[in-house]
Order: sequence, then C-alpha cells, then structure tokens
Amino acid sequence: MTERLLHCSELSLQRGNQPILDAVNLSLHAGEGVALVGANGAGKTSLLKCFIGLFPDACGEIILGDFDPRSTSPQTLSSHYAYAPQSPHSAWDYTVEELSSLSPSSEQYFRWLERFALTPKLNRKLSTLSGGERKATHLCLSLSALQNPREKVLLLDEPTASLDICRTEILSAVLRELTQQGAAILVATHDLTFAQQCQRTVILKAGRVVADGPAATTLSPEIIRDVWGFASTSA
Amino acid sequence: MHSARTLKWIGLILLCVIALIFFSLATGPAGKGWGMNHEWFWLRFPRVLAALAAGFALGIGGATQQGLFRNPLADPGLTGVFGGSLLGIATLLAINDSWVWEHSWSLPASAFAGAMLTSLVLVLLNHKNSTNRLILVGLGLNAFTAAGTLIIATRFSASRDILISGMTGDWLGMATLELIFLPTILCGIASLLLLTQARSLDKLSLGEEMAQSLGVNLYSTRYASILLTALAAAAATCLVGQVAFIGLLAPHFARALVGPRHALVMPLSGLLGGGLLLLADTLGRSMWPQAPLSAAAMTAVIGAPAFVWIASRQND
Repeated sequence: MTERLLHCSELSLQRGNQPILDAVNLSLHAGEGVALVGANGAGKTSLLKCFIGLFPDACGEIILGDFDPRSTSPQTLSSHYAYAPQSPHSAWDYTVEELSSLSPSSEQYFRWLERFALTPKLNRKLSTLSGGERKATHLCLSLSALQNPREKVLLLDEPTASLDICRTEILSAVLRELTQQGAAILVATHDLTFAQQCQRTVILKAGRVVADGPAATTLSPEIIRDVWGFASTSA
Repeated sequence: MHSARTLKWIGLILLCVIALIFFSLATGPAGKGWGMNHEWFWLRFPRVLAALAAGFALGIGGATQQGLFRNPLADPGLTGVFGGSLLGIATLLAINDSWVWEHSWSLPASAFAGAMLTSLVLVLLNHKNSTNRLILVGLGLNAFTAAGTLIIATRFSASRDILISGMTGDWLGMATLELIFLPTILCGIASLLLLTQARSLDKLSLGEEMAQSLGVNLYSTRYASILLTALAAAAATCLVGQVAFIGLLAPHFARALVGPRHALVMPLSGLLGGGLLLLADTLGRSMWPQAPLSAAAMTAVIGAPAFVWIASRQND
C-alpha cells in the first residue's frame, strides 16, 4: 500500500449559518491523481483551501503529509505541497522572468516555462500576456514549488480554465508524470473530459461527497443528472 | 542578480540626494551660503536630517502599505494613519501638555498609539481588500482624526498653534538636534525592520492563497507590517507633522525605475521619499523666504495631480 499523503475525515466548514462542507471524507495516496468535480458552489475550492490551512475554523480531521495544516506553520507545510489558485493574479506587473524571484526554485520555474512553451515570453510583462498564457505562467510558478515531486501533494483549482488545447494536453502529460514520480494530485475542475483522465473522480454536491471512484462509475448519467440537473449525452 | 540598469538608477538617485543635501545645507533665507557661526549645522542640519529620515520612513512605509493591501493607492497619509498619529499627540497634549514637554519620548509614544489604532481600524473595515473601500475608509478616518485634532486644538489653547502647524505639516521648521533625536532613530529602526518584510510582500502580491502556499505566514507578515508602518508614520509625524503623498509617489517612481520586487522598491522608495521631502522643504523655505511654505504644501502641489493621475488609471 502506498503512503497516504492527503486525508480528511468528517471535515465540515460553515460560513455564517451556511454549511459549505458537510462531513467530507477523502484520502489521496502517493501516485494518485484525483479529480474533484461538482456544480458551482459545491465546495471544491473551499475543500482545497481547507487542505492548505486557509480555514483554521474547519472542523474534523485534516492531514497533509504528516501535518494538520490548521496548526502547522506555513513555512513547514509549504515544503510538502504546491497549490495553484483558480484565478491567479499579481498586484504588480512582473515580467515572466521576474516572477522567478518568487519561486522556491527559479531553475525549476524556468524548466516548467520551457515545458509550457513560455520561454519566448520571458521579457514580457504579465499584463501583456493573454489570459491563457498568464494562467500557464502561474501554473509554472506553482509547479516549481514542488521541486522533488515524490511524496508531495499538488492541489490545482481549475487548472485548465482558459488554457488552449495544446497547453491542456501538456498539463495532462505533466500530471501523469508527476503521479508516476510519486506525487498525489487533487484537481478541482469543471472539465469532465479532463477529469476522466484521473484515476479517481470525487463528486461534491452542496458540500457533501456523493460519489468517489473511477470516472466510469462516478460520472454516470444518473449522478450527472442529480448533481448538475441535466441529462448527460457524453459520459 | 540585479541588472546594470537597476544599479545605475539606484546610483543616480543616491547621487541626486547627496547633491540635494549639500544644496539644502547651503541654502538659507538670505540665499546661498553656509551662514554665520556654523548656521548650516545648528539650524539647517537638523532640518535636513529630519526631512530625510521622515521621507525615508514614509517612502518605505508607503511601499509596505501598497504591498500589504496590494493596492497602488495605499499611503499612510491617505489611509488616515498620519491623522491617527497626530490625534494621538493631540490627545496626550490635551491630557497634560506640560508633562509631555518634560518627557520627550511621550510624543512618539502617543503618535504610535494613535497610528496603531487607526491602522487596526483600517484593516478591520477593509477586510475584503478593495481599492474603493480602502480609499473610503481612509477618507473617513482622515476626516475623523482631523476633526478630533481640530477640536482638541481649539478647546485647549495652550497646544493650539503647535497642533495647527502639525496639521499643515510645518514642524520641520522647529527641528533641533535634541527634538529630532528619538524620532529619527525610530524612523531608522522602523525602516530597517520593514525591509525584512520585502520577500513576504513580494509573495503576497500573488494573493493570500498563493503567498501562504509559498510559505508566507500571513498573520505575522500582516501584523509586523502594520505595526512597523505605524511606527514609521508616527516617528515621521513627530518630525514633520502631517504630510501626504510621499508614501504614495515614492513607491510608484521606484517601481517604474526598478520593477516590482520589494527588495529593490522599498529602499529606493525610502531614498526617493527622503529626497522628495527634502526637495519640497528646501524649495518651500528658499523660494519665498519671507513667507515660507510648509513641506506638506509643496508635496501636495506635486502629489495631488499625481494622485489623480494614478487613481484614474486604477481598475477596481
């Protein structure tokens, strides 16, 4: 059995009187890629944020590596995971090259830029890039934080949103390689085609896990109708 | 590694500030000259030193607030932190003014308490980090602290003149080595400690989630930055009184010259802030020697149009 790298049990989160997450149970092991899907507002982003300790008031058990993210210093925790937010942005207009100064490993950052065909844009300001290029640049920054992916956790929030088909394919290949190297990857996505490439798909509905397993079983027409409220023709 | 262009700009600005120091020391009410009986040292040096220290602290404080709020319009003057400092001083003067003048440390202490209180209110009311809200809350805090200071100034005639000249940023003219000693040291300490936040502020520019995932302790960065900016603003207030726009403009110029990295922006903002305030004070007292203009009035002449320009380019 491979090592468990990410785990939550009976995880609940409330904002005001509104339950955001309701008794969520989820485990990821080394070498596993899991897609987290659900309708808008299902709690996908909140679940990812709980795993990196952004909601210290979340109830239940949360483990990332060997740590509870709510009580571990960000510096200690950051060496065990990398995170890519849904809408990355920068307050200041860095060039693609200057962004390397924010990476824990600029060498890795430049390597990922090359992989995503962004090396020719090194001297460009972020504001002059297209939305997809900007998203890919921030993904490179997040990926560079992994350094050695073995037994590390990668949390991606809508990574394919605004990426073109070519960079989406590159990302799929990168995630496959990283899982082969021993990383555990949790991807929140609305892209069900992308989700089907993961070993498991976890479906959230109103903060609860309603299905967890291979895409072939979890993305059934009945569940799709129940979660998204329409009949699927493709899954 | 910093590029040759960056180092060239830093060197050039450093040279300009050094030249400005000599120009300011050699400029008196009667025109150019070092003056009688070492006038340049006893009368002008404390004023030059105070302007440099206050401007330096304000430049770095402005860069820190802009980095912390991820907002190019943040500035201790516009966000009400200066007003809070002055209200702190006014409150203490109202309680016991004779005791204050016997204990010179109490001025920076009361200014710091006022600045800290205003900063905390600003953070609590601007928890969603919106540009509009920051400016509106700052506007409200400025109005409230100005009203409080004015009420105290008019109710307590003993401190009226000193508080009115503080509100118009006209305290540089009173600078003596004894009076500026402690605030200058505090400006230096606050500025140096703020520089240690540079890397965290860089990462914070990517948003709180990314910053935390890159190992930034959001809580300690936020409160260290607020506390040290309040200290810098309080110490600067004790030297100059209220002066807006230095903390706004210096980081903008610095970013335009050396890019957005705080390790470069912060010290260069300090240098530019010190230079701008010294230039404003020197021009204000030498252009019309019979009726000198305060440094705050001179910086507002340059700063107000620049603020309008920056605000008009801002998306929210």
